[in-house]
Amino acid sequence: MTAILESISREIQGKGGPARRGLAAERLAGMLVVAALAILVAGTQGLMSPYVVNLIGQVATFGMLAIALDLIWGYAGILSLGHGLYFAIGGYLIAMHLVKVAYLQTGTPPDFMLFMGWDSLPFYYAGLENFPYALALIVLISGGVAFLFGLISFRSRVSGVYFSIITQALVFVAMLLFFRNDTGFGGNNGMTGFTTLLGWPIAAPETIAALSAASVLAAAASLYVCARIVRSRLGHMLVAIREDESRLRFLGFETLWIKIAAWVISAVIAAIAGMLYVPQVGIINPRVLSPELSIEIAVWVAIGGRGTLVGAFAGAILISTLKVVLTASAPELWPFILSLLVIFVVVLLPNGLLDAPAALRGWLEWRRQRAAS
Amino acid sequence: MKRWVLAMLRLSVFMAAGAGWLAAPARADGDARASIVDRLCTRETEARIAAVDELLAGVARKEIAADWGAAIIGAAGDASLKCGEGGVRVIAKSGRFRDPLTLADVSESSAKLAAPFVNLRVRAAYEMAGGLLLLITAPASPLAAKAADDLQKHAGIANLDALQMAVEAQPSPDLAGRLQAIAAFRALRHPDLERRIAAIGKLADDPTERNRTALLDLQGDKTAAGDPKVAAALAASIASIDRWLQFSRLMATVYSGLSYASILFMAALGLAVIFGLMGVINLAQGELIMVGAYTTYLVQEAIRAAAPGILDLYLLIAIPIAFCVTALVGVLMEITVIRHLYRRPLMTLLATWAISLLLINLVRVFFGTQNLEFVTPAFLSGGERIVGDFIVTYNRLFAIVFALGILIAALIILRRTKLGLFIRAVTENRDMAGCVGVSARRVDVLSFGIGSGLAGLAGLALSPIYTVNPNMGTNFIVDAFMIVVLGGVGSLIGTLIASVNIGMINVIIEPAYGAVAAKVIVLLLIIIFIQFRPEGLFAPKGRR
Amino acid sequence: MSKEALYIDGLTVSFGAFRAINNLSMIVKFGEIRGIIGPNGAGKTTLLDVLTGKTRPRSGRVLLDGALDLLALSEAEITLSGVGRKFQKPSIFEALTVAENLGLALRSRQRSIWGEMVYTPDEGDRAHIQDVLGMIGMKGRGDLSAGKLSHGQKQWLEIGMLLIQRPKVLLLDEPVAGMTDEETERTVTLIRALRSPERAILVIEHDMAFVQEVADLVSVLHEGRMLLEGPMERVRADPAVIEVYLGR
Repeated sequence: MTAILESISREIQGKGGPARRGLAAERLAGMLVVAALAILVAGTQGLMSPYVVNLIGQVATFGMLAIALDLIWGYAGILSLGHGLYFAIGGYLIAMHLVKVAYLQTGTPPDFMLFMGWDSLPFYYAGLENFPYALALIVLISGGVAFLFGLISFRSRVSGVYFSIITQALVFVAMLLFFRNDTGFGGNNGMTGFTTLLGWPIAAPETIAALSAASVLAAAASLYVCARIVRSRLGHMLVAIREDESRLRFLGFETLWIKIAAWVISAVIAAIAGMLYVPQVGIINPRVLSPELSIEIAVWVAIGGRGTLVGAFAGAILISTLKVVLTASAPELWPFILSLLVIFVVVLLPNGLLDAPAALRGWLEWRRQRAAS
Repeated sequence: MKRWVLAMLRLSVFMAAGAGWLAAPARADGDARASIVDRLCTRETEARIAAVDELLAGVARKEIAADWGAAIIGAAGDASLKCGEGGVRVIAKSGRFRDPLTLADVSESSAKLAAPFVNLRVRAAYEMAGGLLLLITAPASPLAAKAADDLQKHAGIANLDALQMAVEAQPSPDLAGRLQAIAAFRALRHPDLERRIAAIGKLADDPTERNRTALLDLQGDKTAAGDPKVAAALAASIASIDRWLQFSRLMATVYSGLSYASILFMAALGLAVIFGLMGVINLAQGELIMVGAYTTYLVQEAIRAAAPGILDLYLLIAIPIAFCVTALVGVLMEITVIRHLYRRPLMTLLATWAISLLLINLVRVFFGTQNLEFVTPAFLSGGERIVGDFIVTYNRLFAIVFALGILIAALIILRRTKLGLFIRAVTENRDMAGCVGVSARRVDVLSFGIGSGLAGLAGLALSPIYTVNPNMGTNFIVDAFMIVVLGGVGSLIGTLIASVNIGMINVIIEPAYGAVAAKVIVLLLIIIFIQFRPEGLFAPKGRR
Repeated sequence: MSKEALYIDGLTVSFGAFRAINNLSMIVKFGEIRGIIGPNGAGKTTLLDVLTGKTRPRSGRVLLDGALDLLALSEAEITLSGVGRKFQKPSIFEALTVAENLGLALRSRQRSIWGEMVYTPDEGDRAHIQDVLGMIGMKGRGDLSAGKLSHGQKQWLEIGMLLIQRPKVLLLDEPVAGMTDEETERTVTLIRALRSPERAILVIEHDMAFVQEVADLVSVLHEGRMLLEGPMERVRADPAVIEVYLGR
């Protein structure tokens, strides 16, 4: 057993190999732009069922999440187990926008507020019916929260598993807060009852197609931006931070700002993913803040291949599609499949499924040698 | 001062654990018995009520045996005390005849016998006395609750001294509390002003919420509290009770904080051992706690099926079993997964998360998702009231004592045994330890097993207190991590101090601001703490 | 430019009650190669930690080039002001190529994050990288993954990463530990070639023969104090040094 593992790991050569360059990611981004156009046409012309179009859009936002996490984990080696927080910031803000629009149309506040005995929206909903303002808030708040958290943790040089644990604790606490009913964010049941998005009825096939295409486009944009970062000297620095942060500091770099920059970019991408996700599923509740969801993002990246943008994206698409299919057909089987898959990949394929061909070669090599001796 | 002494006295009596009711009633005075029986045989209502009262007073002074009192009141109550001409008195029931003074069997009497008619007032007195005497002679009897109900109905005529005796004899804190309230009610409305004031003062000696309510009730009762002296005594007593209640609430908070801290300590200790040694954060630690609790449950069910007589002992029997089963699960985890990941700590987060998912779902499949029902053993039910409303409940005490035991055992293992030496050596310098002949692999497996076993014991200790279901692990894991972060790597004492702190902060904040705020504040405090002490706890140590 | 590259005065570093460095003073001149020897725990690596800002001393003064107070600067600022350090263990970025490693080190000032993102090496930068590749004997191997280099090559690459920053003071912590004899010899040649009138080099080493070959002057540290300073021949003959190294 050990012999096999050794020959496989020799073949895979995790850390020593050069960082993958992100050229493939730029090509994939181009392909996604074409795919987005195809979805827009197919969705509006009725060539594809709205269910499938909607599903593609949702999965694309998961792909964005994976890209966001891969930038900081795969390249800078900072594992966040709380990226659901930024996803939720985007999701909740867009939900507030949609609720405000619905309120202005119907004149009645959403059920969860009536239940609390409120007859108008609380003050922090002011102006949110304006979409550009909501969008700006999403970027500012997710970026601001990430900046503050990054500054505090990176400045005191919290790193490694400590950092991961603290991100997880943060998202857990946020979940507990959002479970409360008196916050004006829908509490336990979350926010739903959206009517229109930018004047379009939210359930119309055209809106679904547009949202789905927008999600795929956004995923393409995230891929492109991250690929550019990874190929630049900033990207080399991120890899250097992963490999040996204090060495980089002794080369004269303030690694604090590099890490914060990557962290904030990652958070904003996650928030935009959340913003696109919520109108497509029509609801947001505190379960997006559960630590499980955040860990799942890391699982996508680990399975697809850490440190390669294409791999992370593919991992998210593969696993979340598999989850949608399996939770519909065999819900009790899914957790078993997921956990065994994670264990298998983590133990045998340190760089994810992209290692599978190399691992296979390693195994064949081991068999050949054994046959020879 | 007096109350301090009283509280300390209670505490010390409790600690001696030999606390029992030393009841050796003096030999009853024969004349007193005869006089009581004589009067019970009259038709005079007042005389009979006075006799009942005298009997109870005698019992309370320990001059009359309570057993005898119970028998004679019982006989009078169900009309089996027969009285005849010329002072003949017999207890005749189901064909058996006894002498009412000695309760010895006698031959059937030829005299003409009749039971005196029992009117409503006399019946009330008999029911009151019967209830009281039952509570004194057999305080743990299943009929005790019913007796207390009877007593409550006739609270206005109950004998105070005997009532006090029943309170002291009562082992169940619930029932004792009820009796106390009855006694208070009785004393507070005593027709004699002096006794009323004395009763008010006496209530202040035992500062409970119940007594405070009783005093406040009295304050609202204009006819009973009209007298200025009574009013002044009331105000003073209530103020005193308030002070003591604050103190007892503080004690109760500290106590529940300590018991929560014990659970956290046990949950975090295994985590800290594993993390300090191998740099592995075990996200499945919460699920190992769950495995420990489920093992305890299985042990309970096995004993219930095989030897129901010793069911009460299941918690003790389960200690080695829960430890071994979870240790085995841990060792399996280590051998199959963790050992491939020592140089990739972030990957162990994902792998152990996957294992936790697997364990939760396995348990779901085999046991379902409902909460498990645990029997509370007799030695863990109830508690000891120390002062005010502060009750040392035995189930929480069990958790605290258990955690202390584990702390001592861990200290001994780490400081005094060869394995402990090896563990410290590998924690200090893995390669160097290997050079001097310590097999790091074996130490890894063993300490992963021990760390997991500790989680199993935590599961055992919390099963009498918290709900046990497949998802229980997630409730503890975040707090346990915070403790490891706060307490520092691989430091037993650091883990202890951090557990106590986080446990305390949780219970102090929770009542005032809610559980969510408690979690938020703990997290913020830790983040602030990191700002000031990053070096000691976080910076990688050693030279390069 | 003053002649004093490093001016260290009354330096004391303590960890708890333990004094790792005790009232140490020394001067290193430009153009000099200084060897620092001493038994384990003498405070050699701690001295480098102080010079690079990793450890803060309890008291004392450290001036670079006669004027700049190093103790007031952060790790990165110290590096940018011209102090380069090679660690005991080869510390290079194995996931990057040799040229990328050198490229990372090549910069003269703090740039903005955006600046780093859009930075492309110009002609001068590329030539400089090629120069250093030649100096460390790796011409034409710029595209090799640094993780695939031999132990000696990794050490040279790390020295190259320092060189490319044109440091005024070069700190080398056991540069030949774990090297073969042939590699050690090449390292001697490399270090000698690094000598320049604008540069001071500090070499910490256990290997006495190596120190004798490269160093002009040797400082002997013992229990955080300066035991002796002088040419290697004198140091070798000194009874106090012999006692420290051989015991009583």
